[in-house]
Amino acid sequence: MAGKSGRSINNVPKSPVKQMIFSWEGILVLLFIAVNIFCANFSEFYNLKSLLRQMPVYLAEIFLMLPMAYILVLGEIDISVGSIVCLSATMACIVSNTGAPFIVVILAALLVGTACGAVNAFVLTQFEELPPMIVTLATQIIFRGIAEIVLGNGGSISVTNTEGFSALGGKVGRIPYILFLVLILGIIAAVILGKCTFGRRVYAIGTNRLAAYYSGIHVQKIRFIIYTLMGTISGLCALFLISSSFGANTTTGNGFEMDAIAMAVFGGISSTGGKGNIVGGLISAFIIVCLRVGLGQRNIHPQVILLIIGVLLIGAVGLPNIVKEIQKKAKMAK
Amino acid sequence: MNKKIVSAVLCGAMILGSAVPAMAGTADGKKIALVGKSAGNAFFEIAAASFVETAEAEGATVDTVYPEAATADAQIKVLDNLISQDYDAICISANDVNALQAKLQEAMDEGIKISCFDSATNPDSRQIFINQAGTVAVGQALLDAVLDIAGGEGQFAILSATSQAANQNAWIDAMKNIMESDDTYANLELVEVAYGDDEPQKSTDQTAALLEKYPDLKVICAPTTVGIAAAAKYLQDNGSACKLTGLGLPSEMLEYTGADDEHSCPYFYLWDMQGLGKLSALTTIALVNEDITGALDETFTAGDLGDYTITEADDGGTEVVLGAPLQFNPDNIEEMAKLY
Repeated sequence: MAGKSGRSINNVPKSPVKQMIFSWEGILVLLFIAVNIFCANFSEFYNLKSLLRQMPVYLAEIFLMLPMAYILVLGEIDISVGSIVCLSATMACIVSNTGAPFIVVILAALLVGTACGAVNAFVLTQFEELPPMIVTLATQIIFRGIAEIVLGNGGSISVTNTEGFSALGGKVGRIPYILFLVLILGIIAAVILGKCTFGRRVYAIGTNRLAAYYSGIHVQKIRFIIYTLMGTISGLCALFLISSSFGANTTTGNGFEMDAIAMAVFGGISSTGGKGNIVGGLISAFIIVCLRVGLGQRNIHPQVILLIIGVLLIGAVGLPNIVKEIQKKAKMAK
Repeated sequence: MNKKIVSAVLCGAMILGSAVPAMAGTADGKKIALVGKSAGNAFFEIAAASFVETAEAEGATVDTVYPEAATADAQIKVLDNLISQDYDAICISANDVNALQAKLQEAMDEGIKISCFDSATNPDSRQIFINQAGTVAVGQALLDAVLDIAGGEGQFAILSATSQAANQNAWIDAMKNIMESDDTYANLELVEVAYGDDEPQKSTDQTAALLEKYPDLKVICAPTTVGIAAAAKYLQDNGSACKLTGLGLPSEMLEYTGADDEHSCPYFYLWDMQGLGKLSALTTIALVNEDITGALDETFTAGDLGDYTITEADDGGTEVVLGAPLQFNPDNIEEMAKLY
């Protein structure tokens, strides 16, 4: 357990219960509860009803966190996802406006996303020595560039037939479909990363790529699959974005890659690879969502909200190190 | 526990408040949210300040809210937040014409009144749009200025933004239509519409090219703030006989505005942003009080601004038009330049 999350504060073996409480995920759960208590006291309108109503626009970004977690565990990064979302959304709107059935629209969005992801994957696996940050920076510009050209003057498109997208944004009682989907995909992603051979290999690559390669892991095949899936999920995110705005424009998905990375890193997934798990990412994602909804309901200046999240993020990255330092000093003192 | 005390105090305050009807505001206790395109737009903030002042004088509370970025997606999050709170009305300057429709309709279903100003949404997303100046009114004002400055006859040119800029093209078309249909302007000749792409350098180059091509050019009309500032500097620096008018920001045009030959621009126009804020506040309050529903041909009185009639907007929805744009001349520019 301790090794897997990589965020355990104490390396001395303890009982499983203690281990859970003192793991990073345990701290996140406590933080999640604290944030909710804070928000409920801070905003008189903060309750389950308003939270469920406001959640969907944020949930679309949590989709992106899932494959992003895999990429971070690989020790890599993909900053083109916001642009893939933009291009997928644009294409989905265009296909929708031709009068195609909604299933075709869904397929179009997923296909465009997958294709973009495959472009990243192809370049990164063909030219292994290229840094993912630079390659995906280039494709970030390229994908959004294509979307801007397609959108042309005015830079926005709206869907004329909103029926399918309205259905997608629907609810069971008060619970939006997207919440179920996030949780289902989250569980699948967590199980594959944490319990399956594929996931173990991802950790192996992230910990030591060369060692993983020499132990017979198809490093490039796994990287190809993950980057391509990142694209597919971006297409899914695009579909749900359209279901809230019934359109796409040149700013759609702007900055989503950083939000996804922030959620993952806050959740204890190390950007240097090999550490962290999906559960942490999911809890941290919901902490951020609750915080944004709660603070937003008191009309706090949006930049102040981002600032608070930034401080939390630095704290999250720094805390395990600080605790380790303190422990080291305590040991030395003994 | 704390919340209970607070709500008890608030309830008490409300009962006390309602027991004292002497405060003569028409919107006592109403909550209005004003949503901007993005934070830090000085131009918008003049209107916002005037909106807040007007609405608060009527007894309403106003919260001015900005999205985290100048995008429709960010405004959707803001609207989500606002719908959760118990606002009576939302007045919004939209970042996208269509993207906010789902959220604004949701808000209207919750009984929240929706008005737009500065930048409109589509007709289905709003109850009314408060228009700073009708397209034709702008065209008319600019053309009259050209006629006046040219002395009733001669060549003039237009220095616009980009060739696709929707606002500029609409005003230019309005000017052309008026010229065709009214003999008053028969002696004016529009020689060229040049495009400075709203870039200072390109606008300067285009101004120079116009003077080169048409030595007898009497007036340049620049219906864009970037274009007019660039042209004003070029004409004044070169002591050109060609004069300038158009749409500009007083603070940028201060040193170029004057009736003598030393200055390149006798006068120019822009919206009355203070007036826009005031009319927006009063229109929104009229919606909240159900004096109007936003339907065509309804009339209402907007304080000392006078009576307004709701008319059909270019997009098929309804609007109230503030009036003709505001003229900035040597008499008022120094004062206005402090504002925007």
